[in-house]
Amino acid sequence: MLVNEIMHQNPFTVQSTSTLCNAYKFMNEKHIRHLPVMEEETLVGIITDRDLRLATSRLATVPFEPTAMVKEIMISPVETTYPTNPVEVATQLMREKKIGCLPVMENEKLVGIVTAVDLLDALLHLTGVNRPSGRLEVRLGNKPGELARISNILSQRKINILSILTYPDKDDKARIVLRINTMEINSIASEICSENIEVIWPPHISCAK
Amino acid sequence: MCEIIYSPKYSLYNLGEGHPFSPIRSEMVIDLLTHFDVMKTAIEPQPVNPEELFSIHDKEYVEVVELASSGKIAENIGKYGLDTQDNPIIKDMALGARYICGGTKLGAKLLIEGKAKKVLQLGGGLHHAHKNMAAGFCLYNDLALSIKEMTNHGWHVAYLDLDVHHGDGVQEIFYTDENVMTISLHETGEFLFPGTGWVHELGRGMGKSLKLNLPLQPFTEGDSYMSVIEKAVVPALSWFRPDAIVVQAGADPHYSDPLADLMLTTQDFERIYRRVLEIADKYAKGNILITFGGGYSITATTRIWTIIYHIVNGLEIPDKLPEAWREKWREYSKDPIPRFLHDLPNPYDAIPRKPEIDRQNNEVIRRLLDAVSTDWW
Repeated sequence: MLVNEIMHQNPFTVQSTSTLCNAYKFMNEKHIRHLPVMEEETLVGIITDRDLRLATSRLATVPFEPTAMVKEIMISPVETTYPTNPVEVATQLMREKKIGCLPVMENEKLVGIVTAVDLLDALLHLTGVNRPSGRLEVRLGNKPGELARISNILSQRKINILSILTYPDKDDKARIVLRINTMEINSIASEICSENIEVIWPPHISCAK
Repeated sequence: MCEIIYSPKYSLYNLGEGHPFSPIRSEMVIDLLTHFDVMKTAIEPQPVNPEELFSIHDKEYVEVVELASSGKIAENIGKYGLDTQDNPIIKDMALGARYICGGTKLGAKLLIEGKAKKVLQLGGGLHHAHKNMAAGFCLYNDLALSIKEMTNHGWHVAYLDLDVHHGDGVQEIFYTDENVMTISLHETGEFLFPGTGWVHELGRGMGKSLKLNLPLQPFTEGDSYMSVIEKAVVPALSWFRPDAIVVQAGADPHYSDPLADLMLTTQDFERIYRRVLEIADKYAKGNILITFGGGYSITATTRIWTIIYHIVNGLEIPDKLPEAWREKWREYSKDPIPRFLHDLPNPYDAIPRKPEIDRQNNEVIRRLLDAVSTDWW
């Protein structure tokens, strides 16, 4: 999954010479929290609703006036990504820098924006929960051929895998979470269990003999 | 006055030997009712035309299904949820499904024309069929077609889905429709297909706060189920006041069902359906259309539907199952066929987590009512 599949194209922006008051109204009107800051067509910084509120708060040592310019408080330089960057790499950058969004650049032009909420949507999409399906979770040995045991059982029964996620677990095992398009999740889970594969979900399965 | 709808052609919707959604379930019910000497003459529906389905399904989907059913399988059939274990491609399955749709639609017509107040369709309930996709044993959505028939007539319709699985197809088709309230009671989606049916799925646009979901804990028992009906379904219908209720009467919340984990007994089904009829009388002008649905323990499912038949027809519920019937169907059932129509008392061990399960189900009721009550007046 690449950034260009989840980003918002042609994001709303603000000019660096706009007032804080205007930027604030604009964010409210568009229901957004992040505004890339431009000088003409060039990205020069970013402001968030939080930056605005902190800068103008009565609690600040010297609060900015509503008429101050955006460029006085914007974050610059700004971290960016590019359309063909894998989603997980962009996510790592956001976590590393503790930031909530990344403008997306192509040929030095701003073409999109990705926010943390877009990444939550991506997670939903990756897990396949938005398709009619059942959830199956197993623990496998962390060695070649283990996943094939599961996929063989499913393919023999003509069950389609809608999504598959895997991550390392303790004791050198691998956790696998699948969404599969069957009503018969219990009987499949029992069958998998009887092949000496540890079934974690559904949680109340007894092995078929 | 209760009318019965059935066609032997429903059996064309046979998804293959060993498939859980077997037409034999309806055939066994009819044979049992005949043995009890209470089987009325059923009204036989005609199949709907494929074109009639365009009001609820995408044209492209219907065309792919019709072709597949006659042996011409599209390259991208997987996109439509077909050619899988749950939804295999079987010759003439589309025609069978169109007979079933014809039956449920006929039920709507009988109510609209005032020819019946209660209708029982001895089949159908294909609630997982989506606009453009087959799923969960369901090809064409007979329930949605029938509801559409009623709303086209200007009616407000409540759809009550008592199958153990979420009624996702019907909910999807009417998600923005202000004339249709859908209410689904089901085992919660983290444990069971289709994985949807959360409290927060409330409808959109004009349909907002009219799509109600009550995801129940595994091992939920009859008392807790009844309290969901009293505390959530009754207030919803007493506010919405539909012109009719369409009920999907899946038998798979039964404790012995192999596909799911709710714990209703046949005695629970009896009190649920007696109450549903009272609710229809009180809040829906007495207009009620009941279809069959899921139910994968053959011995439990046939007994439950037979009990429902007796209830809607105002008949006394018999005690024993006829020997001749038990003998006749012995080989078709994996489990031995019991001697009595109702379950024996205390048929399963006490559920250790019962207080916690009841508490979580009450929490679901509270969250749903909190979410919708501001939109009800």
